[in-house]
Amino acid sequence: MLALGAAGLLILVLGLVVFLRFAPLGQRTGLAARVIGVYAYDPVQRTVAGPAATRFPRTQPFAARVSWASLPSGVVVGATWYDSLQDPAGSVGPAPAARLAAGDGLVPEHVPPGLHGNLPGTYTLLVLRYADGRPVEILARTAVVVEHGP
Amino acid sequence: MIEQAAYKRRWRPSRYWLAALIGGALFAVLVASSALSIALDSIPHRASLFGLPAIGLVVMATVFGLRAFRDREPAVRGRDLMVAGVLFGLGICSWLLVLDVFTFTQAAGPGVAAVSALACLPTTGFGLLVVRRLDRNEKEPWRLVLVAAAWGAIVATSLVIWAEALWDEGLGTRLVPGPALDVSSAFSAGIFEELAKGVAVVLLYLTMRDEFDDVVDGIVYGAAVGFGFNFMESITYMTHLYALYQPEGTSLALAAAAGQWYQRQVLGLFLGHATYTALVGAGVGVARQLRGLHQRLLAIASGFLVAIAAHFAWDAWAQFFPVSPASPLAVAEVHLRILVMVGPFTTVLLLLLGMGLHVEGTALARQLELEAEAGRGAVLPSEVAVLTSPWRRLGARLAAMARGGPVAYVRLARLQTAQIHLAMERWHRERQETDAPPAAEEALRRRVLELRAATASG
Repeated sequence: MLALGAAGLLILVLGLVVFLRFAPLGQRTGLAARVIGVYAYDPVQRTVAGPAATRFPRTQPFAARVSWASLPSGVVVGATWYDSLQDPAGSVGPAPAARLAAGDGLVPEHVPPGLHGNLPGTYTLLVLRYADGRPVEILARTAVVVEHGP
Repeated sequence: MIEQAAYKRRWRPSRYWLAALIGGALFAVLVASSALSIALDSIPHRASLFGLPAIGLVVMATVFGLRAFRDREPAVRGRDLMVAGVLFGLGICSWLLVLDVFTFTQAAGPGVAAVSALACLPTTGFGLLVVRRLDRNEKEPWRLVLVAAAWGAIVATSLVIWAEALWDEGLGTRLVPGPALDVSSAFSAGIFEELAKGVAVVLLYLTMRDEFDDVVDGIVYGAAVGFGFNFMESITYMTHLYALYQPEGTSLALAAAAGQWYQRQVLGLFLGHATYTALVGAGVGVARQLRGLHQRLLAIASGFLVAIAAHFAWDAWAQFFPVSPASPLAVAEVHLRILVMVGPFTTVLLLLLGMGLHVEGTALARQLELEAEAGRGAVLPSEVAVLTSPWRRLGARLAAMARGGPVAYVRLARLQTAQIHLAMERWHRERQETDAPPAAEEALRRRVLELRAATASG
């Protein structure tokens, strides 16, 4: 039993090593991005309309507007929507903040392939800082609810 | 003098106090969990209405408890306290069940939840039946096996919900999506779920020593807790996915729920929670037969460690290497990855079970022979070979049924069970593992003789 316990401990230590490898200490820069709001989105016109909202019908596409200009221009950043199954559901970047700031600042979500509307539940937007091609820090977070319904 | 010579620590009430302490701490956590569930509006207030039977049970438990303190007769007081304890336990469980049902299934509605539960019942029952039958020398009583499963389904799930939510809030939200977050989630599930399930096995070990003999029993109880947890978790995932996909059409929603059922109730029935918590049980079962406190604590800690590691390894593996539904080998991948990652732990568990059954069987055969040689009539020399073989025991019972009908079958089954209990008691006494007074063995012997007389008269 002790041998099994030792094997278990080894597995957990390996897990801790992997954790520290991908979430090394000292990655905080203190930077913070600003999500201006989440709006109903027209995928054809690629524009948002109406006031910011926190709840959307499942057939209504939506997009977040991020203030990329508030970040240092050379910082590599991106933003990704995660659906209620924690799967990526639309993103922009990674790219230098200046390049993203030159655009419209919108981060639209995408309907999962094969479905007619968004999945009900909470959608989370993460604004991330990248280093060596990997996301290393969360600069902002916001969430909206996609309502159950037809 | 004889008692003192036989038992270095004849009576060890400290384990009951320890059990009470653990139970009290769990109760406090569950009260906090219930309060949070309602305060944060994750539970609709109509849950209070469905909780009325639970309140009734707790009131009745209070009445019996108060009566117990008033009784001067120890036997009556003991009985009242026992009734109070059972009613209180039922009250807590029924309240937690109400919370669980609302927490885990309200998105899809009661109908879908009921269908999901019905779909999971036969598979869970099959798992319990198989694991209980594996204990071929001395089967554990159904009441304790079902209590263990109910703990897994109702209490353990209630314990982990807020622990995992708080971990996620404290650490998960600070991590970027990717391997670190996957590892964090796997740690959370492994640590909290195995602790919440494993504590049931520890409580059974502390309070039901007569029905907790060795590593085999630990594995049976642990697996039973795991089956219960897997039952409730399966319903949760099935109803959740059904609710997510239902707006896209019932057929897609049904397919999503059926996929979860297959993964958790077929593929993962034995290769999942049952294996993890049985590993906890194995550690506790090994501790049952160790002398020193340090050795026992090490064995229990080892069981928890390997169970947490097994659970962690599977969760981390599944998140690192998700199976893409578009892959042409998706079906094979789903089956292979569970075999590759959980299979080795289940194999180790089966080895422990096999070794435990061998040691137990050898010891019982020896004790039955010694009892037969003593000539006290509880075990006859001709019965030893029958009692040591599950198939020959069954054969003897079937022969009895052919002669005297079902009543004869039941009577012989009771006699055989009592004889094996006696042999088990002798084994524990020989190893100085029992804290029952020596008269208990004599009482068991008298019970066997009574049953033999009843069998003969029938």
